[in-house]
Amino acid sequence: MSRSSVPWLRPLVALAAGAIFAIPLYIALINVFKQSGQVAGGVMSLPSPPTMDNLVRVLTGPDSLFWSSLRTSVLVTSLSIIILTVLSAMLGHYLARHGGWWPRAIMVLLLCGLMIPPQVILIPVTQVLKSFGLMSTLPGLVLFNVGYYVPFGVFVFSGFMKGVPRELEEAAAIDGATRWQTFWRIVFPLLRPATASVLIFLGVWIWNDFINPLIIYGPREGTTIMTGVYKSLGQYAADFGGMFALMFLATLPILVFYLLLQKQFVKGLTGGATKG
Amino acid sequence: MAVGTTERRPGHAGAAVRGSRARRRRWPGLWHFLTFAAPGTLVYLCLVLAPIVLSVGYSLTNQALLRPRTEFVGLRNYELLLRDETFLNSLRVTTILTLIVVIVPNVLGVAIAALLDRRGWLYNALRSVFFTPMVISSVVISVIWTRILADDGPINQALRALGVREPPGWLSDPDIALYSLASIVCWQMLGFCVVVYLAGLQGVPQELAEAAAIDGAGPVRRFLHVTWPLLAPALTINTVVLLISAFKLFDHVKVITNGGPGTGTTASVAFVVLQEGFVENRIGYASAEAVVMLIVIAALSVITLRILQRREVQL
Repeated sequence: MSRSSVPWLRPLVALAAGAIFAIPLYIALINVFKQSGQVAGGVMSLPSPPTMDNLVRVLTGPDSLFWSSLRTSVLVTSLSIIILTVLSAMLGHYLARHGGWWPRAIMVLLLCGLMIPPQVILIPVTQVLKSFGLMSTLPGLVLFNVGYYVPFGVFVFSGFMKGVPRELEEAAAIDGATRWQTFWRIVFPLLRPATASVLIFLGVWIWNDFINPLIIYGPREGTTIMTGVYKSLGQYAADFGGMFALMFLATLPILVFYLLLQKQFVKGLTGGATKG
Repeated sequence: MAVGTTERRPGHAGAAVRGSRARRRRWPGLWHFLTFAAPGTLVYLCLVLAPIVLSVGYSLTNQALLRPRTEFVGLRNYELLLRDETFLNSLRVTTILTLIVVIVPNVLGVAIAALLDRRGWLYNALRSVFFTPMVISSVVISVIWTRILADDGPINQALRALGVREPPGWLSDPDIALYSLASIVCWQMLGFCVVVYLAGLQGVPQELAEAAAIDGAGPVRRFLHVTWPLLAPALTINTVVLLISAFKLFDHVKVITNGGPGTGTTASVAFVVLQEGFVENRIGYASAEAVVMLIVIAALSVITLRILQRREVQL
């Protein structure tokens, strides 16, 4: 577009906007490395000297709340996103390859699921899970995640599937491959960008989920990392340093996961756009 | 029927196939369905669709934890809802939250996206900065902001240093808390809008803006008449996503204000439904609230989608 007469204005304004926006993140980050006494003092000042005490205190806490919650969250999140990827890729493939009113009805019902707030179904979900004996268990939470997030996975995969030529599958079938082999060896590898975005989005959502694990897994059986943070709010009421350290450690794994997959994900976005 | 054709395995033509073809037309690819589609569909059916039906069922009963016998009460729960001050107030709270959360991140998002729509490491880095809160849990965001907006928190310390004698109780004043809460959600959602608008801006052909510039249109008119109409799909995505996220807002309410200060000044519909269902344990009544919530969000999403997509088609 137009060449601005003041070329330094845009970067300056952008930088200022970004800096103001990031202030809360900055405050959270510096408080992780401040001595607890300092936290109550100047909130914006850099920690002097920076300390690892808060992190060590959380990591070596006698109740090992962090480690047990971390284990639960890693298990729940990885199991959920792996099962979700497999099931929604296959379901998306079926729906993208068939017309007729049945597949279309399933598609519409799934799309409705994209907007259903969890609060609407949580009460009966607890009853359903109870009747399967899965309430307050890890498999119960994973199963709920799969049911609740499968519409999103299908939405992404079936959209992307339209860019995969049918001829590939037909050629494989002529060569004698079963549908199962065709899908996993030929189609699925082509869906990499879609798989990356499904893994990223669902990984972040499920890791950060609060209300579903709070009600389905329950605090008695143990906590996921985010319900753990919530549960320990009281315990850390007077220890801001410890609180911020715990939140930092709870966020770090998913942030790393996000950054690692981000490249794939961006490719997925642009890939979908050019084919759109 | 093109679908029927691709459904047939290659290599077998003739009478033998004809029977199975007729069957397949009724339910295209039955075997394909059972192996590929059934597992996902089944889990969705059991844990999302069936619960919706169950919710409607419960809402017609007086089921509650302490009541020994559950009876069918017809639409009585819904009649009670119309006179329930707590529920009506939660609708008002959610309406205010939704309006703010749909409008503010959309407006700021398009402005920041226009600002960042350049190449270079600086703009890439800033894009990540704006997106970061989207990757962080609402619980963590809520705790950070609770600390920042506390009565003796950094914002009020700064205000006192500037000479304000009695800075506002951002989260403790019943008149302000709801707006503070909405602002926090806006801050968290802003990055999403920025990224979607940036993707939209990259799809706007440079030639159009240049042609408009040659015709003498200034930057403001170029934006309003060339760029903004072409951002219609981005506006649709952002508005629908913001609408749904604002309407089901729970985490922030639970962690930051727990419905207070005062009586229910920040108690959103989602908060009231879960309070009623899991704290008061009035399952029948809470289900009626949930059903109303579902109907409202479904109607709002469909209407919004219709209006915004019509705008896209007209272009």
